[in-house]
Parts: sequence; structure tokens; C-alpha cells
Amino acid sequence: MRLNRSGSTNIALNLLVGICALTLAFPLIWILLMSLKQQGEVMAWPPKFIFSPTLENFRVLFDAAQAGATSYGTIKVDFLTPVTNSVAIALGSVFVSMLLGVPAGYVLARRDIPMKEDIAFFILGFRFAPALLVVIPLFNVFQTIGLYDTYLGMIWVYQVVTLPMIVWLSRSYIEDIPKDIEEAAAMDGAKPVRVILHIVLPLLKPGLIGASLLIFLLAWHNFALGLILSSTKAPVTVALLKLLNPGVQFYPVMAAGLVVTMIIPVILIVMGQRHLERGLTFGAVK
Amino acid sequence: MPPPWISMSVEMYSSGLDAIVTLQSSVSQLASAQDGAAKSASPPRLDWWSIAAIAPAVLILLGFLFLFFYGVFQSLTDLKFGRPLVHFIGLTNYAALIKTDDFWNSVRATLVYAGSAVLAEAVLGVALAKLFATEVFLARVMRPVILLPLVLPPMSVALMWTTMMDPQSGILNYLLSLVGMGRFAWISDPATAMISLVLIDIWTYTPFFTLIIFAGLQGINEEIREAARVNGAKGWATFLYIELPLIAPYILIAAVFRLIESLNQFDIIFGTTQGGPGNSTSVLSVRAYITAFQNLAFGRGAALMVVNWIIVLAGAFLTVKLWRYVRPRVS
Repeated sequence: MRLNRSGSTNIALNLLVGICALTLAFPLIWILLMSLKQQGEVMAWPPKFIFSPTLENFRVLFDAAQAGATSYGTIKVDFLTPVTNSVAIALGSVFVSMLLGVPAGYVLARRDIPMKEDIAFFILGFRFAPALLVVIPLFNVFQTIGLYDTYLGMIWVYQVVTLPMIVWLSRSYIEDIPKDIEEAAAMDGAKPVRVILHIVLPLLKPGLIGASLLIFLLAWHNFALGLILSSTKAPVTVALLKLLNPGVQFYPVMAAGLVVTMIIPVILIVMGQRHLERGLTFGAVK
Repeated sequence: MPPPWISMSVEMYSSGLDAIVTLQSSVSQLASAQDGAAKSASPPRLDWWSIAAIAPAVLILLGFLFLFFYGVFQSLTDLKFGRPLVHFIGLTNYAALIKTDDFWNSVRATLVYAGSAVLAEAVLGVALAKLFATEVFLARVMRPVILLPLVLPPMSVALMWTTMMDPQSGILNYLLSLVGMGRFAWISDPATAMISLVLIDIWTYTPFFTLIIFAGLQGINEEIREAARVNGAKGWATFLYIELPLIAPYILIAAVFRLIESLNQFDIIFGTTQGGPGNSTSVLSVRAYITAFQNLAFGRGAALMVVNWIIVLAGAFLTVKLWRYVRPRVS
């Protein structure tokens, strides 16, 4: 932008950016360090920046056979089950949402149906759904029809978060594809199904991969739905809170748990920064 | 028909949605122009394939809409866990609520939390966006770091800060001691718990404002800035009188989204303080959860959530009004 910036301003600006970036990144770095420490080192004052790292905390989290036996006391954790639950629920939610949402997104982008804009905004409105108000009645419904604490029930209720997002994202990605390509193919005699399968879907693939990364992330984030509607099938965010026992604070084990929940999002940033930015701000900017 | 949590009245509907439509269509006028052409070319007829494709998604979401209304209905009953007979008791739950200090304390906590967090995030978001828009070396390299807080699960963020805010061994108190400040109780003292939570919210969601304002800054024509400079405007004046009015709609759209979400915020508050210590951070959503699922008074809990929802609507409505006020001055 401003090419005639002086050297000292340049250094000052770089410094400011560095401070901001450090403020955003430092908590994660600190938690990562903490997850490699022993309980005694975590409680030390002043905090230690240099120490000999250990993977003990991760072993405590995942080693079900020896659960409870740690070098600094007993804690019972089974972290593998919630991680599996979260992955299963998130993958299931992504799958169901894609199956139902992408066709809907296509119709909203390309076809003419009655009340199209009304339907589109009905769907977008769920971005602001007050989850608890939906979940309070759902708790009783789930108990009655036997969906409480099942993968099926969880995947269904997660659609309130993931489905609206995928409808809108796929609509916007489809609108980015020039309509002429489809029209030309139709003019050459291709059936609508063939146009969608052989022309629209291949062009849409990068967008859909990005969108599924984002809704996987949204499902991974969720806490309230799992807290209320599941017990043995609880997601990892709920298990995380249980690691923080009042009174006994095994911070390093919890830090290891935090690292586990944060590592997937961080990998996703590396994989699809552009798509995540588009998805995270979706609805406010296109 | 939009779901009720975004439109209580017709006006809210038209203004609120209009806000988003206009912003989007200004970005993508091409797409809407094509739609218009297509409409005039072929007369509207029922396209059963399209309806079949959209029906499953709409039906699932209609199910949630029904649950929402069912929740509102429950707030008018005396539903409790294990109670076989449920009575319709009208507004009794609400009447009982507004007589308690706890309820008003929760309303205040909700407003203070969301209001102060969103205000601070808007200001810091503009600053951060301007800083990264300078495109100095580190700004280009560090750009992905902005996304970092947004991609973490809010529950992880909450527990991460709980750890760092520990009064005895937390790193934050150590950093404060480096600049000569005494120990701070953070979330374990009623006097400082709320400000600590607001700080966590600010750290987490300022990047959301930054991303959106960044898009706004990039949309500003370079010629406009150049014209201001040629006419002798200094850097600050260019920002205040040229850029700020142009990015104001973006700030307010981001504020609408954040206001709705922070008035509904549950994860960060439940993960750190669970409404305590005492009542100091007991926002409506946390109180509703505790009422419904720990005291098992579902009717009362639903009533608290309905109140929360009305506050969300009012907040969104006011922000959208403000948005409509700043928009005409731009175009």
C-alpha cells in the first residue's frame, strides 16, 4: 500500500504485528509446554521455561490398562473413548449434512422454486439458533424415543449446527461456477443429472472439501449438545471439562487433553486457511 | 418464513435479513443479475426434482423449529423431572423469576458480558485489521495466526485460560509480576471474575472482527485513499473521515453476529466459572442450564432461555437499526 514508508516505521510496525501474533499464539505454546511437564514442574514458581520434556501425561490420558497409576497420584481417565466419540459424531454429521445439504444448496443457487429466498433465510437463521432452548425439550424427547446417548441421536441433533452451514456454503460455491458451462452442456444434449455429476461436481470439489473441513470443525467444537444429550457417547469437549476436578488440579494431564483437542483445528488451518476464513465469517461477508 | 430467533416481527425480518442480503449482493451482483435474467426467461412452474432435493434439509430444520416452539410452550408449564402430570401455568414461571434478585443479576451479567466484549472486540478488531493491512513483512507471514483462536473449541479455550489464570501457579500472574504487579485472583474472585471472562472472549473473538474488517478494507478503492492524500489529508484524517465510514457497515455486521453469539455464550462461561464465584458470572444461559439440568426444573429453565432469546432479538434489532443508519452515508 504505502511504498514510501520509512525504515523506522517499518520496524515499529513489524514489532507491533509480532507482539499481536505472540499474544494470539502464546497461550497455545504455553499449554503445549505444560503438557510435556511433570506435575511438580507445573506448580513451580517462577514457572519453568526450560525442563526435560515427558510424554507421561499423554500416556495417562490414553493408557486404559494402567489408568489411575501415575507418578504423582491416581486419576481415572479414559480419553480414548471421547476422542473416538467426537470423531465418529463429527464425521457422521459431515456425511449427513453433505448428503442433505449440497442438493439443497444447488437448488437454492440454480433452480427456481416458490419462496426460494424465504427458504434460504429460514436456513441461515439457524446460525443464530439458541441451542439450549432447543435442547431442553429435546432432552425429554430423546429419553422417550430412546435416542439419548446414541450416535444416531447425536448426529441428528448436530445437524442444527452443520446443516445450515453446508447449505449456505455450497450455495455460495455453486454460484461461483459460471452458469454458462452448465447451459452449454445442456445445449449439447446432456441430461441434467449428467450435467451435475460430470460438470458441476468436479468443479465444486475444492469448495466442498473446504466446506466439509469447516463443518467438521464446528462439530468438533460443540459442547452443550453433548453435555446434555449424551453420557457414554459424550464428545471430547465434555470429557475435557471432567479432567478439571475441583480440588485436585492435574494441570499437566489437562494440558495434554487440551493439546489433543486443539491439534486437529491447527492441522485444518494448515490444510485450508482460505476456506476456513470464508466459512468462519460466512453470512457477514460472502 | 424465517425461524423466530431471528425475526420476532415483520420489521425485524425485513431489516435484519435485508442487512445481510444487501451486503452479500453488493459483493456478488453478478450472481443476482443472472438470477433475474433466468426468472424472466422462463415462467415459474413447479419443479418436483428441485423440491425433492431441498425437502430433506428443510424438513430436518423444521423439526428443530418445532422443538423451539415446544421449548417456548414448556416455559409456560410446571414441568419438572419425574413429575407425571404437567400443568399449563401461564406466565407463572416468568412472574416468579422477575421477583428474584438472582434473575436480575443474571440479566445484568449477560448484558455486561456481551456488551463490553463486543465493544472491545470491535475497537481492537479495527486496530488489528489496520495493522495487518499494512502488509509489512511479519503481517504477511503471521496472517494465519489470526485464525488460531477461532478454530479452537471454545471449551478448550475456556480450560486453557483457567489454567493460565490460576492464582497460585498461573503464567498470567507470573507475567504480571515481571512488570511489578501483585498477584491477581482472576476468575476465583467475584470482583474480577467477569472482567477475566470478558478478556477471554476478547482474545478469542477479536480475530472474527479482524477478518471481516479486513474484507472491508480490501474493498476500498485505492483511488479514494490517493485522492484524500492528494488533497492533503494526513494519515489519521484519512482513516477517520474516509476509511472508517466505509468500513462501519462491516464492523456493525460483525457486531450483530458477535452480539448474538456472546449473549448466548455458554461454553466459555460454563468451562471457567460455571456462573461463580457466588453469582458474579451467572449469565442467563448458564443459569438456565443449572435450573433445567441440575435442579431439574425444565419449565423454569426454558423460561430463562426465552428471556435470553428476547434479549438476543432486541440486541440484534438495535444493532441492525444502527447498521441501516450508517449504510446510506456510504453509498
